[in-house]
Amino acid sequence: MSHTVSEPDVAAHHEPSWRAGLKDGMPPLFGIAAWGLVVGVAMVKSGLSVMQALGMTLVVFAGSAQLAALPLIAAAAPIWVIFVTSVVVNLRFVIFAALLAPHFAKLPVLRRFFYGYGTGDLTTALYLQRYPNEKPEEGKLSYLRGLLYPNWIAWQAGSIAGIFLGSAVPPEWGLGFAGTLAIVCLAVPMVATRPALVGALVAAVTAVLAHALPYKLGLLAGVVVGMVTAMVVEGQIERRKAANV
Amino acid sequence: MSDLEIWLTILAMACATALTRSSFWVIGGHITIPTRVQGMLRYAPVCALAAIIGPDLLMDPQGSVEFSFHNYKLIAGAASIAYYLVRRSMLETIVFGMACFTALRLLLS
Repeated sequence: MSHTVSEPDVAAHHEPSWRAGLKDGMPPLFGIAAWGLVVGVAMVKSGLSVMQALGMTLVVFAGSAQLAALPLIAAAAPIWVIFVTSVVVNLRFVIFAALLAPHFAKLPVLRRFFYGYGTGDLTTALYLQRYPNEKPEEGKLSYLRGLLYPNWIAWQAGSIAGIFLGSAVPPEWGLGFAGTLAIVCLAVPMVATRPALVGALVAAVTAVLAHALPYKLGLLAGVVVGMVTAMVVEGQIERRKAANV
Repeated sequence: MSDLEIWLTILAMACATALTRSSFWVIGGHITIPTRVQGMLRYAPVCALAAIIGPDLLMDPQGSVEFSFHNYKLIAGAASIAYYLVRRSMLETIVFGMACFTALRLLLS
């Protein structure tokens, strides 16, 4: 089969692509480190010990899920509730993975697992800007690595700095509130469409009203009601569009 | 929570990261997600973030709704949303929001 022989090697090291990845990934690194710092502070301010916070940042590596879990841990919610909440907050990664995974389908399975694990929002966005389609190209993996490694280091450095900073600052400063503000900044760009906006508002109100539910299920109740609302609004907008055409 | 329970929680959260990020990588190949499922995957995270923010801003530590000028988090949070819409910078917004919150706390209490 001549075409498999001539097919470009996606996985081979390709110096120019590696450098391009490093270069393209550089500008947002400061923001990533700052976001890590905020999550680091929030972890110790919510009552985790320094060791627990270090463990969490190193193995979980998902800022928004970590912030979502902290109030649940503080309230001693059951582990399954925290697990489901983390999965829900991370669901956007399922879409990212579906877009990226086919580019690297030929790699050994363990390496695919680790590259998937390390690929967050920013790495996905930058990677897809350069390689929007799935056809094998030389340097794809080198480019991904160039984005991924500095991103991981910046996040962990910021996070670890935050953990030690947070444990040194008195609780009256209310630094845990910085975590809420960070989530606000993540959420605002996501409500750019009307279904998302309506869904988010409904989710927030539901979570407040359902606050007293056992096992801290108020958050998940908010997600389910908000998500269904967003889908209904989306359906209505589409039907109206179809009727007008 | 005991130390052991917190470590088990951290482990469960690591599984959540692996499940959502790595599943499709491990399966490999091209996968088409149905449009309806994509809608759910798209809207669930923002709803989850909103469901965290809502109680954080609107409720006091005792769990009752506080919709008043004495709720500094609510005021600082609303100001931060406005600030973010104008400036589009997370770092600036966090600094701005913390400054608002701290100013209200020190001046008004």
